[in-house]
Amino acid sequence: MKPEDADGLTRRDALKIAAGAALALPALFTRDAMAGPAAFAARAAAPRFLNKEEFALLDELTETIIPTDGHSPGARAAKVAAYIDGRLSEAYLPVEADVQQRWRDGLRRVDALSRQMNGATFLAASPEKRVAVLTRMAANEKDPQTDDEKFFRELKGATVHGYYTSEIGIHQEMQYKGNTLLQEFAGEEPAD
Amino acid sequence: MLFQVRPSAPKEADLTTVYDAVVVGSGAAGGMAAHVLTSRGLKVLLLEAGRKLDIESELKSMEWPYDHPRRGEMPSDSHAVTLNEYTVRQPPYAQGSPYKHVYSYVQGWNGSDYSKNIVVDEKDHPYTGTKYAWVRARNLGGKTAIWGRLALRLSDYDFKAKSRDGYGEDWPISYADIAPYYDKVDLYLGIGGHKESLPHLPDSLFQRSPRLNPSEVLLRQSLKKMNRVLTPYRAGVTTDGLKHNKYRSRCYGRGACNRRAGGCDIHAAFDSPTGLIYPAMDTGNLTLRTNSTAYEVTVDPATGKARGVAFVDTETGQHYEAKGKAIIVAASTLESARLLLLSKSKAHPDGIGNSSGQVGHNFCEHVMGPSILGRVKDLVGKPRTLDDGRPGGFYIPRYRNLDDRQPKFIRGYGFEGSGGTGMVPGRASSTPGFGADFKKTVRDEAGAFIHMGGFGEVLSRYESAVSIDPAVKDRWGIPVLRFDYSFGDNEKQMALDMAATGREMFEAAGIEILASDADLLTEGWSIHELGTARMGSDPKTSVLNQFQQSHDVKNLLVVDGSSHVSASCQNPTWTIMALAWRSCDHLADELGRGNL
Repeated sequence: MKPEDADGLTRRDALKIAAGAALALPALFTRDAMAGPAAFAARAAAPRFLNKEEFALLDELTETIIPTDGHSPGARAAKVAAYIDGRLSEAYLPVEADVQQRWRDGLRRVDALSRQMNGATFLAASPEKRVAVLTRMAANEKDPQTDDEKFFRELKGATVHGYYTSEIGIHQEMQYKGNTLLQEFAGEEPAD
Repeated sequence: MLFQVRPSAPKEADLTTVYDAVVVGSGAAGGMAAHVLTSRGLKVLLLEAGRKLDIESELKSMEWPYDHPRRGEMPSDSHAVTLNEYTVRQPPYAQGSPYKHVYSYVQGWNGSDYSKNIVVDEKDHPYTGTKYAWVRARNLGGKTAIWGRLALRLSDYDFKAKSRDGYGEDWPISYADIAPYYDKVDLYLGIGGHKESLPHLPDSLFQRSPRLNPSEVLLRQSLKKMNRVLTPYRAGVTTDGLKHNKYRSRCYGRGACNRRAGGCDIHAAFDSPTGLIYPAMDTGNLTLRTNSTAYEVTVDPATGKARGVAFVDTETGQHYEAKGKAIIVAASTLESARLLLLSKSKAHPDGIGNSSGQVGHNFCEHVMGPSILGRVKDLVGKPRTLDDGRPGGFYIPRYRNLDDRQPKFIRGYGFEGSGGTGMVPGRASSTPGFGADFKKTVRDEAGAFIHMGGFGEVLSRYESAVSIDPAVKDRWGIPVLRFDYSFGDNEKQMALDMAATGREMFEAAGIEILASDADLLTEGWSIHELGTARMGSDPKTSVLNQFQQSHDVKNLLVVDGSSHVSASCQNPTWTIMALAWRSCDHLADELGRGNL
C-alpha cells in the first residue's frame, strides 16, 4: 500500500472531495439516498406509449422473467415496464414505428398464446400457467424462429437491460461495490 | 465536481504574425508538439478542427445508469453504425440513413450518450471507397478524450522487423533512439504497470500497477508454464499522481472505466488537453484556435517551403491562413494524409511532401476479431467482490515469431482482456431461461467470467491506401478520403492462430470455454490507423526522415501515427508521443541553429 498522500492529497482531502461530489449528486455515494430522480419516478406513474392493459401485461411479463426472490426485489419493483414503455414512447418516428408495432403485436401474441394454451389471458391465468406460456415462447431462445420466439428474445433483452441498469439491479441484486472513490485498487498484486 | 482546475484564459490567434510553429491537430501528437515546443520557448499556434468541450460534464464518469433517462443511451434520433452495416455496406455510411445523426460504432458501446459530442457526425464527414470503420473525434484533445488507455512500448522486434523476417521496411530509428523519450513520456504523463523485463515489450517507468482479479491470476500462473506472460493492463493513467500537473488527479480506482468509450472526468487517464495543452498554455507561449479545420498547407512559391496553414472557421465559414516558420501536421494518420494530398501547388503537384508518391500508402493498423470467453468454475457463487476498481484488466504480450518462425504468417499479436464483475452483468441476456433460476444463475456467475480478444499487426502494404475522392466533399466543401484497403492473407492466417492459441491458453488454465470466435472484425475496428506518411532513410520510398521531417520540405513535420513504418501489434499512442517529443526537440534545435 502506497502512502495516502502520494500525490499531495491527504485522505482527508479525498474524503472532502467525496463529500463534495455527494452534495452535488446525492445518489452517488449512499445507497439509502438513491430514490432516483423525481422526473423518472413521475414518468413511471402512467404509461406513455402502451395503454393500461398492455402496460399491466408487460409489467407481469417482466416480473415473470426476473421475479422477486429471497435475495432481492424483481423487475416490477425496479419499474422495468416503465423503462421499456418510456423508451418505446421516444421511438424515432416514422423510422422506428415498426419497433412500436412489434411490441404491440408481441404483447397481443402473448395473450393469444395464453388463450390457446390456458383458455385465459396471461394475466388471468395462474402463475404456473403463465410460466408455461413463456416456456413455450422461450423454446428456441438461441435461434428463435417464430414471431412468438422472436418476441421473447426482444422482451427478455429489454427486461434484462432495464433491470440490471436499475438501482435495485445494480445495488440490491448484484451488490455492485464500485463507482466510488477508493484508496486502493481492487484485486491482487501479481505474485512476482 | 472533482479536481476542476480551469486552464489559463486562451489568447486570441493573431493571423498577421508568423508563429515559430503552427500545429494542426490537438490529440496525442499535436498536444505533445505544443508541449515540447512551448517548453523550449517557441511561440506556437495550435489549430483544432473541433470544439473545445466542457469534457467533465460531457463524460459524467460516475453517473449511474438509472440517473440517465435512457440509461446512458443516445436519443432515438441518433444511430451508431453497426458491425453488420460496416460489413455489408461501403461508405459513406450515413448515406440514405433516416436518422438525424449517424455516428461510428464507438457510440454503440453501451449506446453512449456521453461521447456523442466528441465523435464526428458521419453526415457531415463522409468518406468513400472500401469498407472501413473510421472513428474520428473532433474536439480539443481528439481521440485522447475517449481512448482505451493501453500504453505500450515498441521494441527492436518492431523497429527492425524487416531485418528479422525480410518483409517491408525497417524504421530509421532503433529502440535506443526512442527509449529516452519513452521515459520522458512516462514521467510527464504517468503510467501504471508491472515490470516484466521482456525484450519484446520493454517496461516503462511505472507508477502503481492496476491489480489482477482472481481469474486473471489463475491465467497468469498457468501461462508461466507455457513461457507466456499475462501482465496487468499498462494504463496511461497516473495511479500515484503528478506533482507537476495541477489539472490531473491520480486514479481513485472508482471503477466502471470500461462502461463507456474511455474518458475520465478527473483526468487520471491521460488526455491531451489536461496532460499537455493546458500546461503548455501556462507557459504563455501557446495560442489555441478551435473550430479551425485545416484544408491546405500553403507554400511559399519562391522557396517551395511551407508558409502556413489555410483553414476554415467551422462556425462562421470564413477562410483564413495562419503562418509559421515550421508547420507541424498532427491531424491523425488519415486526416494528415488527406491534408498533405490536398496541398497541391506548382512546387508540389502531387501534394506537399509527396515527391515519393508514398503519401496515403502503406496504410496499416491492428486486426481484431478472435476472442475467447470462459468461466472459472471455482468462482461461481462466490461472494461479491469489487473487481473493476482499476483502469483496465490485463495484457498478454506477443509470443509468436520472436525466436520461432510461424509457417503461415509473419509478425505477432497480443491479447487484451479482463475477468471479474462489472457494474452490469454482461452475460445476463445470453444466459438461457427466465425466472428465479435464471436470476440466480446470473448472480452466481457474474464474477466467474473471463474474456480476451486479440490485436494483431496488419502488414504495411503499398497498395493499402487512401486518396482524395474526385467528387465527394464534406460539409465544409473539403474533398474527402477514398479508401482502398482490406485485410490480406497474413492477417487471416494470424487470426486463425489467435483463436487457436487463445483456446489453448484457457484450456491449459482449466477455464471452461463458453464461446470463441475466429472471425475478423471489420477493417478499422481497432481505431489504430497508422502509416500513410512513413519515415525512412530513402526519400524515394519514404515521406519523412527519422525526425518526422518531410524529405522534400524541411520546415514541414508530420508527427502522428502516419509516420509509423509498420504497425507492430502494440497500441500506438505512447509511441506516437515519444516520437513527437523526439522530433520536436530536434525541430527546436534546428530552429535555434537557423537550419530551416
